[in-house]
Amino acid sequence: MRGNGTNMTKISAKNVNVFYGSKQALFDVSLDIMDKEVTALIGPSGCGKSTFLRCLNRMNDVIDICKVEGSIKMDELELNSRKLDVVRLRENVGMVFQKPNPFPKTIYENVSYGPTIHGMAQSKSELDQIVEMSLKKAALWEEVKDRLDEIGTGLSGGQQQRLCIARAISVSPEVILMDEPCSALDPIATAQIEELIDDLKKEHTIVIVTHSMSQAARVSQKTGFFHLGKLIEFGDTEKIFKNPDNQQTQDYITGRFG
Amino acid sequence: MNEAKRKLLNKRYRAEANFKLFGQIAIGLALLFLAVFMYKIFSKGYTAFQKTWIVTEVHYDKELMLIETDNPSLEDLENADYYDIAYKAMTRLDPSLPEEDDRQLIQMVAFTYEQEVKNHLLKNPSLLGKIAPIRLTASDDLDQVHKGNYPRDIPEEDRRVNDYQLKIYDMLNERGDILSKFNLSFFTNPDSREAELAGIASSFMGTVFSILVCLAFSFPIAVLAAIYLEEFAPKNKFTDFIEVNINNLAAVPSIVFGLLGLGVLLAVFNLPRSTPLVGGITLSLMTLPTIIIAARASLKAVPPSIREAALAMGASNMQTTMHHTVPLSMPGTLSGTIIGLAQALGETAPLILIGMVAFVNTIPGTPVDPAASLPVQIYIWSESAERGFVEKVSACIMVLLGFLILMNLAAQIIRHKFERKWN
Repeated sequence: MRGNGTNMTKISAKNVNVFYGSKQALFDVSLDIMDKEVTALIGPSGCGKSTFLRCLNRMNDVIDICKVEGSIKMDELELNSRKLDVVRLRENVGMVFQKPNPFPKTIYENVSYGPTIHGMAQSKSELDQIVEMSLKKAALWEEVKDRLDEIGTGLSGGQQQRLCIARAISVSPEVILMDEPCSALDPIATAQIEELIDDLKKEHTIVIVTHSMSQAARVSQKTGFFHLGKLIEFGDTEKIFKNPDNQQTQDYITGRFG
Repeated sequence: MNEAKRKLLNKRYRAEANFKLFGQIAIGLALLFLAVFMYKIFSKGYTAFQKTWIVTEVHYDKELMLIETDNPSLEDLENADYYDIAYKAMTRLDPSLPEEDDRQLIQMVAFTYEQEVKNHLLKNPSLLGKIAPIRLTASDDLDQVHKGNYPRDIPEEDRRVNDYQLKIYDMLNERGDILSKFNLSFFTNPDSREAELAGIASSFMGTVFSILVCLAFSFPIAVLAAIYLEEFAPKNKFTDFIEVNINNLAAVPSIVFGLLGLGVLLAVFNLPRSTPLVGGITLSLMTLPTIIIAARASLKAVPPSIREAALAMGASNMQTTMHHTVPLSMPGTLSGTIIGLAQALGETAPLILIGMVAFVNTIPGTPVDPAASLPVQIYIWSESAERGFVEKVSACIMVLLGFLILMNLAAQIIRHKFERKWN
């Protein structure tokens, strides 16, 4: 699987340490995420991969006791800075969560919410266009175009997750973070999402946390293996899965622990 | 399956059956109490919705009314003397009665009978000079006799209706001249010292105004406080301290709030005494913590995933709160508000302290007019010795309960509307 990336670094993390109160959750994590590629983060539960992901759009701010140290740069912008405008950052870094969490509003309102609050559409027709584009990109348009005013939470699990993806891409973010997006879905829905991820990487940089090693192998160009808060190994997906340098990675991938 | 295991299994089933049985008994008892309570109130109170009239004839005699012009205007009728013709309307029921005993007949109707005769003529001015049938409000004692609430077989000297009056009553009743109709004046009259005239208009309006004032003060303050505490305030010792105190506030006996209203609203701010304005503000002190607690609970109940979704879209804290969290928490907040208001609705003690217990015989038109409230009205009437007030107490309770049921119904409808929208 070859990436179509430009081989430019989009996000560069250096020596990231994260603490929840007195408990350290991440130890000295450094890795580079390439532009227009899919980077997968794998590892057993509680290894810190989601924590790292949430550093990239500052979602850890929500947790009072969480403290992040180190440097995370997106292009030239330092993300781990008090001065950073998180609202602007999140406009540029979308996120899809583990459990589909559409707003309990209509499908249309779900997708139009981001463009509306960020003032991206000058008129109703422009907004309609953004909604249609986003839903098409999320491969949901054909299924919902006749019922945009139905409540988003009434869709099936897989549709809800695609709605969340449509919502995330509605503001054309440069980066999309996905936190185990398929863990609540059946295999068919999972396949649809994976196909979608492949499509989305043409325009977006994607970081995906997953429990499924086969999924990481299928969708990603780069893979990072986390264990007990440390980044054990990071590199091309092919290499990680076929010929890892580290014994722990080898053990995890072959299912000997995790 | 061996014997021991079978026994254990049977024991477990038995335990469950017993538990169910106890639950059913508990519910049955609760329903029984409710039924007894309702039966008591209704069986005592329903007669208050009937009013008794005595039908007689009145002669609108110009001479007796001291009208001198030939074509009297409405104003002349207004100023005419009705004392004699009203008096005669009553005494004509028994012409054989010696004049010095006339009072016995007069006592059979409400003391407003002269006014009633006047109103009758003012409504039908063409009756001047003619003899017309008229119905006059029966006195509360006769009213009670007619409704069968007053025992007739006790000795005459202990009875408020004497043998002669009973005789006249029986005669009239046989002639069909005792009318019993729906008691509209119970709803349109203010309070009165006379049971047959007393109504709940004043206290009902007082309650409505108090609740509105209470809502206007407590709802916005409480919801804003809850939103700030839940969504914006830093979690530290100070906010913990506030939280503990809000919970304490909810447990403060209402009479203390009454004293606060008396000491601060009346003594310091000089707000008008006995008014729904002061009553409403005092009640809002009670309602405030209830609404804050309910609103915070329902804000907490909004799934964090919704907050995260909004934040991850780049919504600010304020936008996340106002666009998502608050609307989602509204049904819970509203039901908490209704519960708070329902408590306030039945509250008596603080209102007595701020003077809403005063005898008010006018209907308040604004929140700054003196008024009573329904629970206080119940209290006032239950203190009255007259038998006529007994049924009024029950009837007033029925109105209060009806008010409560109506409020809860409205709350349910609002909740359902919201819930349908958000699901």
